[in-house]
Amino acid sequence: MSEKRIVLSKKICMLGSFGVGKTSLVRRFIYDEFRENYRSTMGVQILQKIVSLTKDNSFGIKLILWDIAHIEKFNRVIKNYFRGSHGAIVVCDITRSQSFQGMDIYLKPYLEMNPKSKLIFVGNKIDLVDKNSFDMEQLLQISKALKSPFITTSAKTNENVDELFNKLGTLLVKAE
Amino acid sequence: MSNYIDQILKERKIGFAIFDQDFILSKSSRNFSKIIHNNLITPNSSIWEIFPELFGSEDQVSAVVQNKQKKYQIEKVNKYSDGGKLHYYDLTLLPLKNKAPNLLCIVADTTTETSLEQEIRQQKYEIELLQANLSSYGNYLSNDILGDSVKIKKVREFVGKIANIRNTTILLQGESGTGKNLVARAIHRLSMEPKSPFVEVNCASIPSTLIESEIFGHEKGAFTNAITNKKGLLEEANGGTFFLDEIGELPVSLQAKFLSFLENKKFRRLGSTQERKVDIRVIAATNKDLKQAVENNEFRQDLFFRINIVNLNLPPLRELKDDIIIIADHFIRIFAYDFKKKVKGLTDHAKTKLLSYNWPGNVRELRNVIERAIIFAEGDKIGADEIILAEEKQQAKVTQKFTIPENGISLFDIEKKLLLDALSKTNGNQSRAAKLLGLSLDTFRYRMKKYSISI
Repeated sequence: MSEKRIVLSKKICMLGSFGVGKTSLVRRFIYDEFRENYRSTMGVQILQKIVSLTKDNSFGIKLILWDIAHIEKFNRVIKNYFRGSHGAIVVCDITRSQSFQGMDIYLKPYLEMNPKSKLIFVGNKIDLVDKNSFDMEQLLQISKALKSPFITTSAKTNENVDELFNKLGTLLVKAE
Repeated sequence: MSNYIDQILKERKIGFAIFDQDFILSKSSRNFSKIIHNNLITPNSSIWEIFPELFGSEDQVSAVVQNKQKKYQIEKVNKYSDGGKLHYYDLTLLPLKNKAPNLLCIVADTTTETSLEQEIRQQKYEIELLQANLSSYGNYLSNDILGDSVKIKKVREFVGKIANIRNTTILLQGESGTGKNLVARAIHRLSMEPKSPFVEVNCASIPSTLIESEIFGHEKGAFTNAITNKKGLLEEANGGTFFLDEIGELPVSLQAKFLSFLENKKFRRLGSTQERKVDIRVIAATNKDLKQAVENNEFRQDLFFRINIVNLNLPPLRELKDDIIIIADHFIRIFAYDFKKKVKGLTDHAKTKLLSYNWPGNVRELRNVIERAIIFAEGDKIGADEIILAEEKQQAKVTQKFTIPENGISLFDIEKKLLLDALSKTNGNQSRAAKLLGLSLDTFRYRMKKYSISI
């Protein structure tokens, strides 16, 4: 097996309201595990994983994931978390419309600090809704406003989780 | 002296390290690696290897070492120890004046304080999540028009189209329990701002003497018990949707006033001369045949024409056979969650039982049946025995529905078909097939023989 040739390292911020599953997505991606019990994150947890972007693993990107706690207000501490970020995964819980709201609190300063950052908007917990009847309109509108791709995921059932990070990796490589 | 400093640092849970201008570790306190839970630190480790959290902040770190920036700090960094315990530390970088520029790195273990803060936040968030869950399950009930049948797709299509036209009054017709309220809420949700009001009034549930005051409001002294001014429900609905359920029960005396309101969106409170204007969408609903009510002089024709501009007939559940299981599964998810049961679906027999029923109470009845079944369910699937239906009503409805066609019908064929259907529904189980038709097993077998049915 050929060894991965890492050519890029990118800092990614996980953003979103509390309880949307930011930590669960990261855990699923890094350790392929899911914990049923909710534990709110404090501060920031930094984990990293290399994503292979070619079938022969000859080309990879190291994603340094900053799993940031729910941001109630923007301050100096958060500013240091955002600094130098190349991409962000903006997560909402599709079963909880409150989690789509108030994103400006962190997104506005984030984008001011990192205007070239790539975003992906994620509707997590897709396992909890009836896909045939779920109305995506509002989420698609947010995604359009953010000018970012939209993807639904389930950290619990591992639906689209790898796809999400691969997609972000591809976006970052294309932006190089 | 060095031991003394180490002791203080240990007590205060603070560690330090010094990095040279190339960001290579040159010195550290004994507890430094312990606080940051990194056992792989060597004298030649670079700051970037030790602290991946500094990635992306290279400019700031360089500015600090060159004394161009006073300090750089990252707070509450999470780190798991080898034992799997979560720790927190704050990382602060300061310039250190020496022969060459150096970097002083201070790490402070904040696990105790941050864990306490985490517990408080956890409780706060859990309460908010619980509240949101309750509300979203409420929305789930109200907002989702479930089903894949053509009739339900048409309902969804209607809702999607009409949501864009805010000024039209909509009339929803359908039997009790067909989801008129649900459709009204769906139209509201799609056409109004998220926080706009949805005000509902059921004309049948308010005494006719009070309904005018409830809808239009009143001024102090307008009638004996009017001790204060009171906004009516129309005013409460301003900027949103006013849902007038069972409009067929609106007293005739009030119908003219309501028609006038619909015409110009203006009204007067009881006892007031002041005209008020509101911006609302009106959705009316009824399970009555309003045309018939007009003919019986129970409903004003002009009001009927006014509200009947855009109407939707909601199909009864018995016409949505393809959707019954989808809707049942939806309620199973909701009630299993509410009652903390691990029920995930229905057995085939239970499905057959649901599909063979006539559902006179429509979706509301299905919801109640599933709620009861979940309460009594013991396994991970609801069985036929846990589905309790109003059998008498079922039989009565079947009898009512059946009429002999003009050109006649063969009783022989009908009876044979019923026997075959019953066997098909029970997968050939003769006892259960007999039960479905209200026959003893012996009688059932006798008739099978009579019609040469063999399995």
